[in-house]
Amino acid sequence: MISRVEKSFPRSAACLPEIFEFMEAFFERSGIAEPHRNPTEFAVEELFTNLVKYSRGGTRDISIELTREADRLVVSLTDFDVEPFDIRSLPDAKVDLGLEERKPGGLGIHLVRRMVDQIDYRYEDGRSTTTFVKSLE
Amino acid sequence: MLEIKLGENGEVVLSGRFDASQADKAESFLADVKDSRVVDLKDLSYISSLGLGVLLSAQKRLMASGHSLRLVNVRGHVREIFHFSGFEQVFEIEPTPPA
Repeated sequence: MISRVEKSFPRSAACLPEIFEFMEAFFERSGIAEPHRNPTEFAVEELFTNLVKYSRGGTRDISIELTREADRLVVSLTDFDVEPFDIRSLPDAKVDLGLEERKPGGLGIHLVRRMVDQIDYRYEDGRSTTTFVKSLE
Repeated sequence: MLEIKLGENGEVVLSGRFDASQADKAESFLADVKDSRVVDLKDLSYISSLGLGVLLSAQKRLMASGHSLRLVNVRGHVREIFHFSGFEQVFEIEPTPPA
């Protein structure tokens, strides 16, 4: 079984409810079980908001593509006409610090790494694509 | 959509989905909390890093004046996210009791 959807969203956190609606509709249609949904939505939210905040040069909508394969879900976010932005190079957050030393922020990508099974990155002609895989087993 | 309100015993009740589009609402509600509170997360089904940041900021502010937030009924996805964020180090956390 393979099914695929793609949609583009304006670069604003205000679009998140619309993004979740798009994802939930796909999850329903392609039979993604409940325990896989929140971690996948979490990873998409963190990657999307990272692109909105930090991707240099970005003005165009961000494309989100969801593909259901037999035993895994493949999700890609593509940003156009931007400089390379590979989240795999970002360090993990220091989560063992006490409250005084903790600062809000920096947790997003640290957590994405723990919610998904694989993260890949591709850059070509101004197209910056982050792809992650969520195992459905 | 996130709902945030005070419960019958003065606890802060968070329910629904705490994503980045809801952070301003939660931040402005928690800014009015000036003393120690229980935060009931029984019906909170989702939280992202911006939501974590809002809770962390409130905890830092309260602890500076000798108060704190105690998180109760932490379950499922939210519990997993708290764990990987090291929140056990900075909050008193009470998981959902077994049924």
